[in-house]
Amino acid sequence: MGSAHSVPAEMRELADRTGFTSEQIEHLHRRFKQLSQDQLTIRKENFDSIPDLEFNPIRGKIVHAFFDKRNLRQESDGLAEEINFEDFLTIMSYFRPIEMNMDEEQLDRFRKEKLKFLFHMYDSDHDGKITLQEYRNVVEELLSGNPHLEKESARSIADGAMMEAASICVGQMGPDQVYEGITFEDFLKMWQGIDIETKMHVRFLNVDTIAHCY
Amino acid sequence: MEVVWALGQVGAVWMAVVLGLIVLPSALGISLGISEAYMWVLVKTLEWATIRLQKGAKKPQPQVPRTPSATGIIERDETPMEKEIALLHRADFEFSHIFYFCRKGMEAIVEDEVTQRFSSEELLSWNLLTRTNVNFHYISLRLTVVWVIGVVVRYCILLPLRVSLAAIGITSMIVGTTVVGQLPNGRVKNYLSEVVHLTCSRILVRALSGTIHYHNKENRPQKGGICVANHTSPIDAIILTNDGCYAMVGQVHGGLMGIIQRATVKACPHVWFERSEMKDRHLVTKRLREHVADKSKLPILIFPEGTCINNTSVMMFKKGSFEIGGTIYPVAIKYDPQFGDAFWNSSKYNIVSYLLRIMTSWAIVCNVWYLPPMLRKEDEDAVQFANRVRSAIARQGGLTELPWDGGLKRAKVKDTFKEEQQKNYSKMLVRNGSVGSLSAETESD
Repeated sequence: MGSAHSVPAEMRELADRTGFTSEQIEHLHRRFKQLSQDQLTIRKENFDSIPDLEFNPIRGKIVHAFFDKRNLRQESDGLAEEINFEDFLTIMSYFRPIEMNMDEEQLDRFRKEKLKFLFHMYDSDHDGKITLQEYRNVVEELLSGNPHLEKESARSIADGAMMEAASICVGQMGPDQVYEGITFEDFLKMWQGIDIETKMHVRFLNVDTIAHCY
Repeated sequence: MEVVWALGQVGAVWMAVVLGLIVLPSALGISLGISEAYMWVLVKTLEWATIRLQKGAKKPQPQVPRTPSATGIIERDETPMEKEIALLHRADFEFSHIFYFCRKGMEAIVEDEVTQRFSSEELLSWNLLTRTNVNFHYISLRLTVVWVIGVVVRYCILLPLRVSLAAIGITSMIVGTTVVGQLPNGRVKNYLSEVVHLTCSRILVRALSGTIHYHNKENRPQKGGICVANHTSPIDAIILTNDGCYAMVGQVHGGLMGIIQRATVKACPHVWFERSEMKDRHLVTKRLREHVADKSKLPILIFPEGTCINNTSVMMFKKGSFEIGGTIYPVAIKYDPQFGDAFWNSSKYNIVSYLLRIMTSWAIVCNVWYLPPMLRKEDEDAVQFANRVRSAIARQGGLTELPWDGGLKRAKVKDTFKEEQQKNYSKMLVRNGSVGSLSAETESD
């Protein structure tokens, strides 16, 4: 009797590292098995089986983020072909909700990690800067569903936002200065003071066993 | 020699018991109360087990109980897209929009509404079956002993009993309907065919240890009508025919199923289609319409979802059944998962292993509600009518309604659906005034 998805010691180590409770890990493991169809690893194609995800305009970027080696905390760069359950949990841990007992330093680190995840989503060529072109790509993807909106409008939206970002990060620019792109420090500056932690997490319901007599 | 003789004696006694206590009462339509006593013992045992589990759990119980119809493991933020983006809005189109979609995407990956409907419902409390033992860990010796007794009872006593009953039921259905089929058409034939069908259904229901509660019997489907119900498993049909006679609709199969189909159609006008005929929707509609138009024929039984769903929700009803015309009699079927899971996950189990699982569960307990008949209104088209019927069934059975197609079990989302949602988002974006000069152009959509 008793469920035997993974060895308890491994589980505890995973729990410590990613911050999920062992029950949440079990639930995620079941979900992982469902997505991977009982294989040990997931590939990009496995995400095709989620109907809800089809609606999402940045679906491509989200799936991509799972395979991005920078998010998987591996030293190397580039994209992984397939990920195992540990990697899956690592990515999910970016969306952990804040706990009540976190101190200042932990909160700060938490926030930085979430923002870094987002930064990687924009910075598709992995050079550490969000250039105008990359930003335009994201806007186009977000607006891709509406055939009436021309490319020009997508561009002007992107350009406008980029200018605003430049003004926050660099201040007044000289006439020959070219704004190369948003670095991660600039990115952090942009979000200073704005509460993003509550907008970027997935909350788990309490799933303990409860007595229900029929 | 003596061993064979002894076995023969045991076999004879067994058959006598089965015939006397189960088959005969089914034929006469009376109940000896054996299954009620069994259910009573079962309920008491499960209650005891639940209390032991609760005592054994180390953590203190949370204050917020999870309701049986809770749809999952994550709490979704239901703020509409516009509001949420407005909260994060700064001046222009911003990185903020990414947050919303990112989170929605993650929620969908952790759990999506649709895929979870194609796997069995999770139980809140263990019901002493290994197959549902997912969250629960070893608690105490007594619980293990009860579990072992449960296994012995289920596999060594109940399973052979149920298998023999099922065999008797199916054989008598084939034999009975063939015999009745030889008679000339007329009132006698119809009456006898009803008797045969009802008796065999009752035997089969007892073969599954089924306890069915029928509600609102006054709304039972009448002749010349169409009965629609939500679909959870192949035994839905048996559950309904236990209480009345219907004309079945379906595809012709091979093997044992094919034999049953060929036998029953002689006695009662069921509508079986060849595979090639099913593709031609007009042909199908025409045949069904002819059947319905004849008021003396039994009501047709249709499952408009087209596939088995796990009984927590009702998915899209295919409009074909609602274009035939005639009166629709909706029926809601809700199984109680505590005693046995009736859902057939056809991608995971084939029919034989499914039947074995059913026969080694404790029992099949379900509620059947007959809803008042519905007619299509003047200004309604088939799709709206289908949705109206679906809402009524979902409300009665306590199931959630999903606009998704059951075909998503195997296929991908249609592009038309996707475009709708994306259009929604970009409309909102432009309306927000981030691109002021363009809002006039994109007004016509």
